[in-house]
Amino acid sequence: MNTASPTVTLSDDQRDCYQELTNVAMGQAADRLARLLGEYVVLPIPRVNLIESSDLRMALEGYGEDSSVSAVCQGFIGSGIAGEALLVFNDTSFKDLARLTRREQDLTHNGQLELLMDVSSLLIGACIQGIGEQLEVHFNQGHPVVLGQHCNVRDILKAGNELWTKTLAIEIHYTMESVNVDCDLLLLFTEDSVLRLNQKIDYLLD
Amino acid sequence: MAINVLICDDSSFARKQMARAIPPEWEVTVHFAGDGVEGVQAIREGKGEVVFLDLTMPNMDGYGVLEAIRKEDLPAMVIVVSGDIQPDAQQRVMALGAMAFIKKPIDADKARAVLTDYGIMVRA
Repeated sequence: MNTASPTVTLSDDQRDCYQELTNVAMGQAADRLARLLGEYVVLPIPRVNLIESSDLRMALEGYGEDSSVSAVCQGFIGSGIAGEALLVFNDTSFKDLARLTRREQDLTHNGQLELLMDVSSLLIGACIQGIGEQLEVHFNQGHPVVLGQHCNVRDILKAGNELWTKTLAIEIHYTMESVNVDCDLLLLFTEDSVLRLNQKIDYLLD
Repeated sequence: MAINVLICDDSSFARKQMARAIPPEWEVTVHFAGDGVEGVQAIREGKGEVVFLDLTMPNMDGYGVLEAIRKEDLPAMVIVVSGDIQPDAQQRVMALGAMAFIKKPIDADKARAVLTDYGIMVRA
């Protein structure tokens, strides 16, 4: 997974810094989700790795072949740094999500789509902007795209672009304390962006 | 005499950021801990009269540290410095005996404000 490339590398100090920036950004996102749902969001330690895009499935290995998921992706770009956010929801989450947002009566395919879009724009937006603020980069966000509803993870990854050979992946697994809601947020940066990101990180580390 | 200040965070970047945010006019000796277990040990050794404590850490998290301080009745004034800014997290740490809560990212102004508000650092 972490084979050295001549151009893109990630030192322990850089990884630690990415983790800490993510920690702050995902905390801001969790706060918004907690206020929307009225439930406490459990914050994990984010994982930061350089991976081949073909290894993306390993990042989502928590989902079995037969678990049903729904997913959204959204691009972002700013100051020469570009990437994509991928949010994968376990479909079992929707029942509690609908209850907590008082939309139980609307648990249809379209109702779930609306919930998926609302929660993903909240989580993705807060995370991206949170990381951007700390790096002093303003990210413009593209339109969110639904990669699939009620399918398995393999289909989701097939629908996503086979983006880049090497990508910096930041993985955040959100769960909630007393309700059955769980999702994975992956932030994937292009290979070119990693060099610029690392420069900004090195500046912070200096 | 210099006060013993402990910075307890699993991220070396965050520890450095915190150390930089300590007001230069405050006479302290700074100690570091990389997780909750190290943190409690350092507090037992008297290195944490004032503790800047992160919440999300491996081995023992910040909540665990607060519980240990209470259980062993250790002399430590704890200021939680966390990215977990949910109202619930703040209430929980205050209920566990933390003195104050600072939202990450930390900077010198935030640190100075809390330290003077709570009378931990007396303005010269």
